[in-house]
Amino acid sequence: MNKLSREEVEHVAHLARISLEENEIEKYQIDLKMLMDDVDKIKDIKNYDEEMLITPVSHKAELRKDEVGEMLDYKEAMKNVPRSNGNFVEVPVMINE
Amino acid sequence: MDSYKTTVGIEVHAELKTKSKIFSSSANNYGKMANTCTNVIDLGYPGVLPTLNEEVIKLALRAALVLNCKINKTMHFDRKNYFYPDNPKNYQITQNRTPIGVDGYVEIDTNNGKKKIRIHDIHIEEDTCKSVHSSNKSLLDFNRAGVPLVEIVTEADMSSAEEAMAYLEKLRELLLYADVSDCKIEEGSMRCDCNVSVSKTEKYGTKIEVKNIGSISNVGVAINYEHDRQIALLEKGETLKEETRRFDDKTNSTVLMRVKETGNDYRYFPEPDIPYVTLTDEYVKEVEENIPMTADKRKEFYLASGISEINIKKIIQNRTVSDYLNKFIDKKINLVIASNLLLGDIAAYLNKYEMTLENTKLTDDKFVEVVNALDSGKINSKIFKEILEDVMEQDLSLDKILDNHGVKEMSKDELLDIIKNILDNNEQSVNDYKNGNDRAIKFLMGQIMKETKGNANPTLVTEELTKMLEK
Repeated sequence: MNKLSREEVEHVAHLARISLEENEIEKYQIDLKMLMDDVDKIKDIKNYDEEMLITPVSHKAELRKDEVGEMLDYKEAMKNVPRSNGNFVEVPVMINE
Repeated sequence: MDSYKTTVGIEVHAELKTKSKIFSSSANNYGKMANTCTNVIDLGYPGVLPTLNEEVIKLALRAALVLNCKINKTMHFDRKNYFYPDNPKNYQITQNRTPIGVDGYVEIDTNNGKKKIRIHDIHIEEDTCKSVHSSNKSLLDFNRAGVPLVEIVTEADMSSAEEAMAYLEKLRELLLYADVSDCKIEEGSMRCDCNVSVSKTEKYGTKIEVKNIGSISNVGVAINYEHDRQIALLEKGETLKEETRRFDDKTNSTVLMRVKETGNDYRYFPEPDIPYVTLTDEYVKEVEENIPMTADKRKEFYLASGISEINIKKIIQNRTVSDYLNKFIDKKINLVIASNLLLGDIAAYLNKYEMTLENTKLTDDKFVEVVNALDSGKINSKIFKEILEDVMEQDLSLDKILDNHGVKEMSKDELLDIIKNILDNNEQSVNDYKNGNDRAIKFLMGQIMKETKGNANPTLVTEELTKMLEK
């Protein structure tokens, strides 16, 4: 049966920061391959003259004047932060050297 | 060892000088208390929509034009997807497929003459938040999240640390003088990442990226370090792997950060929340016509005004001085004298009192008076030094200040009398001069200057003295 390699599934899972059980890896090796085959079918459409559609609306981007508007109060901004440290948002250490 | 060729490509991120952020109306301010310049868009709240700042397009277009790029008149933005705490949306809005400018170049001076460093592209993107790391935690400041950036990517056209540094100096000068960015490397508003490889053949070697280099001179140090390190490894028979390293300015070396993700892992796709941006020909023309005078044009102009190359270099290095000097271009003053004052006595005064020109009492009119007085010989530089503090600190005209110092202009007749007297009393020197002893004239000059107590214009004295001696 045509399927993705274990490494490919593990790599995609890592990019999405998802941890997979052993049986899930095996399932996705097949499921993801089927999805990709479906996507490949779209590539077969010949009529590709139209410019790429990046948005469902046809108007051009409305630009904003360069003016400073209202900002969040610091305390308000911190309400959804699990851990803070002084004025900073604290997260687990990001650099591993 | 010399058979190895070094190849360098550089990516520069420059923050744009706007009032507000790229996709939100939060302030684009450096140095404020952490997390006080944010709103829900910068913090990546669900359901919020970005709106593009028109000034960002203008400044990025200016940058693309001064880098001699072809302009993409229809652009869109793309999402670059990655999970990292510096960007809570988990994607950065950038331009992948339609960068605002492509195929440009920057011309640098090298030991072998001019060299064009090709610009692959310049694209617009949002900055991430700033992170500070300690051994067990990282601290985030979202004031920087959403600050507008341009990323400028060169081809791998540089072949030494010197060329890389020359490119960065030139790029900085271009962006600074186009008012695109303040390019303060120490504040992070200009950041350089270098890709360095070495190879014995025409094929490029393995690309090593060095990040976190805090000054242009350290870019040179990092490239030389990488050159030596990579060759040493290859000579030991090891193979190099593509990786990202960090420059450590305490040890002047580079440290491994991470094995690099490849471009595909970012899964770029068009940003559907921002429709196409189109630039009309008229708009591009208007932006191009309003680019402030470039450093190169200023240099040409100063050179034509007779300013020395050393002084031109000093002026260009200090944008404030250059802008100040340019205010007087139409006033037809002697720019050589004006620049000498600005770089000499006035700069020394400002340094001494840690002041800027704006908070002194030196008005434009007074500056013109001073330059003209020096030019005509009404005052000399010695007198100027004496009255300098009053010129800078008092709300008085030059004439009034001169009056207060008891300096009165010496009439030509008075000067001629003094010269005649000196010649009469120094017959020996006069004869020496006539017999071809050039040193005699210096002695006579000295006597005259002493007698006039420095109130005479040296040029006029030399002129009149020579005339009388030749009689």
